[in-house]
Amino acid sequence: MIWIAIVGSALATYLTRSLPFAVTLGGRLPPAATRYLEALPVAIIAALVGPAVVAPEGALTHGAEPVAAALVVAAVAWRRSLLAGVIAGVVAVALIRMA
Amino acid sequence: MGEGWPVMGTVLVVGTTFGVVARQSGLQPLEIIAMSLLVFAGASQFAMVQLFSQATPAPIVIVSVFFINLRHLLMATSLRPQVGRLPLAGRLFAAFFLTDESFAMATGHFRRGGRSLAYYLTFAIALFVLWNLATIIGIVVGGAIGDPRRFGVDFAITATFIGIVVLAIRRPADVVIAIVAGLVAGALALAGASTIAVITAGAVAPLIAVFVRR
Repeated sequence: MIWIAIVGSALATYLTRSLPFAVTLGGRLPPAATRYLEALPVAIIAALVGPAVVAPEGALTHGAEPVAAALVVAAVAWRRSLLAGVIAGVVAVALIRMA
Repeated sequence: MGEGWPVMGTVLVVGTTFGVVARQSGLQPLEIIAMSLLVFAGASQFAMVQLFSQATPAPIVIVSVFFINLRHLLMATSLRPQVGRLPLAGRLFAAFFLTDESFAMATGHFRRGGRSLAYYLTFAIALFVLWNLATIIGIVVGGAIGDPRRFGVDFAITATFIGIVVLAIRRPADVVIAIVAGLVAGALALAGASTIAVITAGAVAPLIAVFVRR
């Protein structure tokens, strides 16, 4: 099951990379479609965050994840660094769970 | 090429983190190595780890990864005029190594008047090698750490995603889209629909962008 998902994901990813290189597209996408495609990556990644923050392990959070998530937003916005956010988030979650 | 060092450092750190987190989630080393070799897409690989941990069916994993990577269509379309000099086989080879980072560096190079495709290829392939080495380092390190929840390591993926979203924000509508996507997905997961939560919220929230004028 995992191997099917890995090979299938690899093919799906390569398709998105190679299609525009392989064919020559005539014309342009309508502006609405371009706006939708531009917003899609952020929306998908944010959608991955939602369940992990609100419902880690399938049940309503005890509070550690939302607090840590807010700290990550602040750290990344301030330092413009992914690493700063990951460190802030991991340390915050570990400390709050310990308390 | 010297301006690529910060990007390479980040890829090393994120790749190692991926190896650690994937190993901690219970995936086998060979599965993790195959993901970095074959999929070679950071956000997608983290997403796959999370979806696997929720026992998500393979078709939903594949469709989710496809949606996350749809942005490649836009990036590849934008690079298409530059790679037009290569024969089809060369273009198909170059396409495999296309990432957010190599796209950004190549675009910068071409915007400064550069013409060399070797710049893109060298950088893109270097990132591929580095990403796979970092993954292996992470697998080794991840196998040596005990219970991940004790150190909050399980939160590293979520923190990475949040950081990617924050750095990707370009205009106010992006903030609204991200919050709506996160809340809808969280609500669906709480309601017991975790298998379709991400894909539904991810596909619906960008509709906001269609109706918002810049």
